[in-house]
Amino acid sequence: MTTLQVYDPPMCCSTGICGPAVDPKLAQFSADLDWLKSQGVQVQRFNLGHEPGAFTAVEEVKAALQADNTACLPLIRRDNQVVSKGVYPSREQLASWCGVKAVASLPVVSGCCTPGSGCC
Amino acid sequence: MELIERATRNLFFTGKGGVGKTSMACATAVGLADRGRRVLLVSTDPASNLDEVLGVALGGSPTAVPHVANLWALNVDPEAAAHAYRERMVAPYRGVLPDATVASMEEQFSGSCTIEIAAFDEFARLLGDPAATVEFDHVIFDTAPTGHTLRLLTLPSAWEGFLQENTTGTSCLGPLAGLQAQQALYRDTVQALRDPERTTLVLVTRAEPSALREADRTSHELAALEVSNQRLVVNGIFEASDAYDPVAVAMARRHADALANIPANLSSPPQIRVSLAPHGMLGIESLRALARGDQSPPVARTTPDAPPLPGLESLLDELVAQGHGVILTMGKGGVGKTTVAAALAVALADRGFPVHLSTTDPAAHVAETLAGEHHLLQVSRIDPQAETAAYSQEVMDTAGAQLDVAGKALLAEDLRSPCTEEIAVFRAFARAVDGGADGFVVLDTAPTGHTILLLDSALAYHREVTRQASGMPPEVEKLLPRLRDTNFTRVLIVTLPEATPVHEAAKLQVDLQRAGIRPFAWVINQSLTPLAVRDPVLRSRQRDEQMYIREVVDEHAVRAVIVPWQAEPPVGRAGLTRLMSQRREEQPV
Repeated sequence: MTTLQVYDPPMCCSTGICGPAVDPKLAQFSADLDWLKSQGVQVQRFNLGHEPGAFTAVEEVKAALQADNTACLPLIRRDNQVVSKGVYPSREQLASWCGVKAVASLPVVSGCCTPGSGCC
Repeated sequence: MELIERATRNLFFTGKGGVGKTSMACATAVGLADRGRRVLLVSTDPASNLDEVLGVALGGSPTAVPHVANLWALNVDPEAAAHAYRERMVAPYRGVLPDATVASMEEQFSGSCTIEIAAFDEFARLLGDPAATVEFDHVIFDTAPTGHTLRLLTLPSAWEGFLQENTTGTSCLGPLAGLQAQQALYRDTVQALRDPERTTLVLVTRAEPSALREADRTSHELAALEVSNQRLVVNGIFEASDAYDPVAVAMARRHADALANIPANLSSPPQIRVSLAPHGMLGIESLRALARGDQSPPVARTTPDAPPLPGLESLLDELVAQGHGVILTMGKGGVGKTTVAAALAVALADRGFPVHLSTTDPAAHVAETLAGEHHLLQVSRIDPQAETAAYSQEVMDTAGAQLDVAGKALLAEDLRSPCTEEIAVFRAFARAVDGGADGFVVLDTAPTGHTILLLDSALAYHREVTRQASGMPPEVEKLLPRLRDTNFTRVLIVTLPEATPVHEAAKLQVDLQRAGIRPFAWVINQSLTPLAVRDPVLRSRQRDEQMYIREVVDEHAVRAVIVPWQAEPPVGRAGLTRLMSQRREEQPV
């Protein structure tokens, strides 16, 4: 099974809602990781603010921090190989690294089956 | 006192600031200790004055109180606890990771949530872990002002639910890893709080309608959280001994009226009534007298009278000079910030300026206070629940817009965290201040501890802004510079001529100055000094006031004004207008 490890910059929460303004990229990324899990990828996420030990335990991650400070974050590893530094990738990129097929999120229609509406 | 005769292991004292809950907690502790019980007295109030009342410097571990065998006390300082917590998390990485990285980690632990969590950790340790207090028979908590107390007390169940339901592994609860390890401790804390055999909640209030309403609200909210073993202490009840002293007669009547109209639900907890003491409650002997139910005899004081001070109206010319701006009334809860703010708002409107009066006080009753309408005066309230709902909706509509169903659920989960309210209220505050660019905005802020947290987050946000300016509402970016601009923002520190309120106001001023905010004036509220009184208890209190008025004038205030105690409740346009002047002859009987 593919394992994806995400090393986040220090932040209060992984959807980023704790700041005075929400970054939609963070909320999207959290949702994409959740989707990736549903596709059978093992996802691990570490926040520098909460689990700094996870960062210093991996020589490559520690070295990246020492060289570039937090600019190297988020750092992403697939099966212990660094695949990306300093950006939040799209769902398509994540999917291609992990060898799963990206599907666009389906639009949700509520109240579709009103009798006689002809929608179903 | 009945509290002493049948005391449970844990006792909590809660109530609006200035109602005397510290005195009650201390008197109960001294009373129990004098009966040979081993007692630990704990303050979790950021604005605690336990040191002052007991006459000993307290710290984070139990300190023996001099002259009282069996009594120990400690003071939980949330800031210090947060600092220790931050050090525990960050220190191992100094020298391992680059300094800039360590600094960015520290930044994450500088928020108000960390302070809350750290304070709560201490609180849970004492209540939830029997080993921590095994050597004591009673643990007495002198807790923070009501809003803060409620947050502390409601957090266990909020978190309990949150930790159980949060299945995605993401969370806004800051250092969640630390919390999960504590889950059992928090569960025990909730259980201890709810167990009537172990815990008594003492609601301390005064014989005033607003204080009684506040106690009623607290009683309800805690009963809803299944904290059911409650007692009500009505403190400072005055009975006139001189029928020819109009002030005394009016004060006694106001107290009797308030007691006659006690909210219906508030009559269910057993009630304890305590008379108005002739002096502020400081020192062990006055606490012993209070525990016995005696009144300590009036003592003649030799302090010379304080110099006469002008009334609130003397500030108006300067306040209106700019034609717009923000007026903030600040101070400990219960000192009358709301009333002073409302009086100034009415006075500005009377001078022909459009005014927006807004309150962030969780116990807001501005609308009630301002029964009469004025066409230039707009009154609104920052309602934490409504602000949180609106903010959550805004986030779902913007950041959540392009997410799929699972993504939306994840975001909604994070929005249920306790920090969301803090942010939502803060943004509403910034919005209200923004209105001061065009007209006058008068804000009465929440109690001291909360005010400091708000300003603190303003600072943290300010630092965030200078690093990255994306997506920040402009009014938030402008907030701190505006609060620091003495031409834009006028901060009025409101206090009472009593020991604790003056010292706490002085601490608030120091905190404001650290944030680069300089108060414009001090308002000494509800003073007996400008009034002619004969009743011996009131005369004694009037003499007591001189020392504190002098302290304000000599040590703290650039400008000070005085507002006399009001024979009639200061409500409506007429009642509020009376607050502006301080002429003696104006007091009706």
